[in-house]
Amino acid sequence: MTQTDMQPSDQQDLRMLRESARTLFERAGGSGRSRKLRDAGGGWDADMIREMAEAGIFGVTLPEENGGLGMGLAAGGVIAEEVGRVIAPEPVVVTVGLSLGLLRRLCPDHAMMEQLVEGATVLAVAWQERGPNGGPAEPSCRYADGKLTGGKAWVAGAGGAGGFLVVAEGDAGPVLVLAEAGADGLSVEERRQADGSAMGELSFSGTPAGELASGGAVRAALAEAVNDATALAAAELVGLSERAFEITLDYIKTREQFDKPIGSFQVIQHRAVDLNVMCEVAQSGVREALGLMDRQTDPKARARLASRAKARAVTAAKKITRDAIQLHGAVGYTDEFEIALYLNRALVLSAWLGDDAYHRRLWFEAREEEGAAQ
Amino acid sequence: MTDWNAMSDADFRKEVRGFFEAEYPEDLRNLPHRPKFAEIEHWHRKLHAKGWVAPAWPAEYGGMGLNAAKLLIYYEEQQRWGVNRGRDMGVQMVGPLIIKFGTQEQKDYWLPRILSCEDIWCQGYSEPGAGSDLANLRTRAETDGDDFVINGQKIWTTMAHDATHIFMLVRTDQATPKKQQGISFLLAPMDQPGVEVRTITTLSGETEFCEVFFDDARTPRANLVGELNKGWTMAKALLSFERIFIGAPNLAQNALGQLESFARGRGAFEDPVFRDRFAQAALDVEDHAALYSRFADQLKRGETLGADVSMLKIWVTECFQRITELMIEAAGPDGGTVGPLQVGNVNVDVLASFYKARPTTIYGGSNEIQRNILSKAVLGLPG
Ligand SMILES: Cc1cc2nc3c(=O)[nH]c(=O)nc-3n(C[C@H](O)[C@H](O)[C@H](O)COP(=O)(O)OP(=O)(O)OC[C@H]3O[C@@H](n4cnc5c(N)ncnc54)[C@H](O)[C@@H]3O)c2cc1C
Repeated sequence: MTQTDMQPSDQQDLRMLRESARTLFERAGGSGRSRKLRDAGGGWDADMIREMAEAGIFGVTLPEENGGLGMGLAAGGVIAEEVGRVIAPEPVVVTVGLSLGLLRRLCPDHAMMEQLVEGATVLAVAWQERGPNGGPAEPSCRYADGKLTGGKAWVAGAGGAGGFLVVAEGDAGPVLVLAEAGADGLSVEERRQADGSAMGELSFSGTPAGELASGGAVRAALAEAVNDATALAAAELVGLSERAFEITLDYIKTREQFDKPIGSFQVIQHRAVDLNVMCEVAQSGVREALGLMDRQTDPKARARLASRAKARAVTAAKKITRDAIQLHGAVGYTDEFEIALYLNRALVLSAWLGDDAYHRRLWFEAREEEGAAQ
Repeated sequence: MTDWNAMSDADFRKEVRGFFEAEYPEDLRNLPHRPKFAEIEHWHRKLHAKGWVAPAWPAEYGGMGLNAAKLLIYYEEQQRWGVNRGRDMGVQMVGPLIIKFGTQEQKDYWLPRILSCEDIWCQGYSEPGAGSDLANLRTRAETDGDDFVINGQKIWTTMAHDATHIFMLVRTDQATPKKQQGISFLLAPMDQPGVEVRTITTLSGETEFCEVFFDDARTPRANLVGELNKGWTMAKALLSFERIFIGAPNLAQNALGQLESFARGRGAFEDPVFRDRFAQAALDVEDHAALYSRFADQLKRGETLGADVSMLKIWVTECFQRITELMIEAAGPDGGTVGPLQVGNVNVDVLASFYKARPTTIYGGSNEIQRNILSKAVLGLPG
C-alpha cells in the first residue's frame, strides 16, 4: 500500500495520531526536555512513558486482539517520527518494535504484554553478540537448566529496563527467555553513546531466566521484530532530519554576515534546497516502506523494505545533520545550541540496527534472492 | 648553533624522528583532546631545552630557522609520532607577527616568553557578529594615558581559559569609510579585573573554546603591534602562511592511518565496497600531498603564495571528514559509542576523530568563504 492508495479514513487517523503525539511531546518540553534528561545522566522519564502509554502510543501497531489499536507500522512510524523530532530518549522503538514485536509473535498472552502497553515497565531485547575483533559474531550465549551463560552486546535501553528478553541457544535450538534486571550473575556494562544514552553489554554467569518460547519460531519472530524496529528507527530518523532542517532553515534566515542574512547567499540557498529535497525523499520513501510492510506477509520482502527505509533515512540524516552544523558555523559546534543534539542522536540511531551501507547490502542481497526464486 | 638547513633531508629527518621517539612521553601520543598547558608542560620543557619550540622562527630569535623543506619534515615527523602541537598559538601566530612588525623592545620582551611558555596565548579575532565577516568586529580600544581601554566581546577563543594573554583585533577608529580600516592588532594580559572568560562546551562535551568579555580592561599602549589602524593588513599578511598550514596533509594522513588499522582489525576490508571507499580516501590523501608539495616548493623558492592556496584547505578538510565518516562506518554498531574502541592491540577513538574533523571546514576561513575566494581571485568570475 502506498500513501496514495491508502484509504482517506486511514490517512485521517494517522493525521490525528500525529497531532496528538506532537502535542504530547511539545507540552512535555520538546527537545529541551530531552536535553535535561541527558544532562541528568542519560536515562528516560518513567512518568513520560506512562503518559505516552495513556495516549495509546505503545499499542498502536498491536493487533486489536492483543489489546492494541491495530493501526500497523504506518502508525508506529508516525509516532517514531514525532519521537525523532524532539529526540526523546524514551525507548519507543525498543518497546513497539522489539519487545512487543517478539512477545506478540511468540507469546501474545503473556502478562508482560499488558505491562508494556501500559508503560509500567520496559524490556530491553538482547540478541546480538560481540566477537573477538570487536564486531558482531555468531551467537554462543547458552540457556540450560533455567540459567543463562555467556554475553550479549548492543542492548539498547539496558540502563533503565526492568528486564531483558534474551534470545539464547537452548538444548534444542533457540529460546526466548526473560531475565530480570538485577538477577543473580547478570552484569550490565553501560557504554556511553554520543547522545548521552547507554548501550548495554550484558554478561551472564548462571543467570536465572524464565523460558517464554523455543524452536524455529523464535528465530523467525526475532527476524520480524528486528525488521519492524529497523523500519521504525528509520521513521525516527526522518522526524529527526525534518526538525534539524527546520532549525537550520530558521538559522540561515536570521544569522547575518556581510550585512545580510547568510540565507541570501546563493550557495547557502542551493544547499538548503538540496537538504530539503533529501528530507522529502526520505520521508516519502520511509512512509511508503512502512505502509507496504503492513500489507506484506513474506518476511524476506518485509526485510527488504525495512532495509530500504533504514538505508535512506540514515543517508539523509547524516547528510542533513552534518550540513546543518556547517551552516551554523561555530555555534553549530557547541553543545548549547539545539542542533548539536540532533547530530549526536543521528549518530546513535544510524549505528543502531545497521547503517546505510549495511542496509544497502542487505537490500541488494534480498533482491538477488527474490530474483533467483522467481 | 646547528645549521639544520645544511643537513641532508634524510639526516634531518632521522634527527627529528630520533628525538621524538626517544623523548616524547608515550602517554601523550595522539591525544584525542586539546591539552591544557599543565598536561604537556613536562614535554614543553624538554623541547625548550633543546631549542626546538619554534621550528619556523629565525635562529636569532631562538627558533630553529628551518627553511620550508625542513619545516615540512619537522611537521611530518611530529604528526607521524603523534606529538601534540602544544599550546602553539604564541609560536604559530603572535611570534611571527611580532617578528615581522614588532619593535625591538617588543621582540626582546615577548619572544623569549613565548618560547618558554611563560606567556600562553589565545587568539581573539571572532566576535558574535564577526565570524566570516571578520571586519565587522566591534570590540573597541580607546587610549587613556599610557593605556588602551578595551570594551567588547570575543567568542570562540580556543583555550582562552588556559591562556595568560590574548592577541586581538580591535577597533581603534570608529569613523572610517571602510570596515577594514580602523582595526588594530593588540596584545593584552588576561589576568585582570576587566577580563572575564566563560567556557563554551562543544558538541562532544569538551571545554575547548570560550567567550571573553572586556569591561574597561587595560593594556599598555606599548602593546600595540605595528601601526595604529593597520591591524587588518597585518593580520592578512599572516594568512597565506596560515592557509598552507591549515591545508597541510597531516590531519587527514593521520586519520587515514587510524582508519586503516581500525578497519583491518574489524574485518571491514572483507567488504569490497568498503575497500573501494578506503582506496578512494587514500588516493585523495596521496594526490592532495602532491598538490601540497607544489605549493610547498613555491615557498621553498622564496615565492609568496597566491589565493589559489585555498584549494588545499578545501580538499584536505573535506577529505579528513570523509575519512572519519568511514571510521564510523567501520565501527558498525559501535558507531555512536563514546571513547576508544579496542581492536586487537590498538585503541581508536572513532567519535573523537569524527568530532575533530567537523569544525575544520568552519574555522580558518570556512570552506564556503574559501570557495568564494577561489572563484573570484583565481577563476576571475564576476561578482
Ligand atoms: C573549533 C573552533 C575553534 C575556533 N577558534 C577560534 C579562535 O581561537 N579565535 C578566533 O578568533 N576564532 C576562532 N574560531 C571562530 C572561527 O574563526 C569562525 O567560526 C569562523 O570565522 C566562521 O564564523 P562563524 O562561526 O560566525 O560562522 P558564520 O560566519 O556565521 O557562517 C555560518 C555559515 O554561513 C556561511 N557563510 C558566511 N558567509 C558566507 C558567504 N559570504 N558566502 C557563502 N557562505 C557564507 C559559512 O561558511 C558558514 O557555513 C573557532 C571556530 C571553531 C569552530
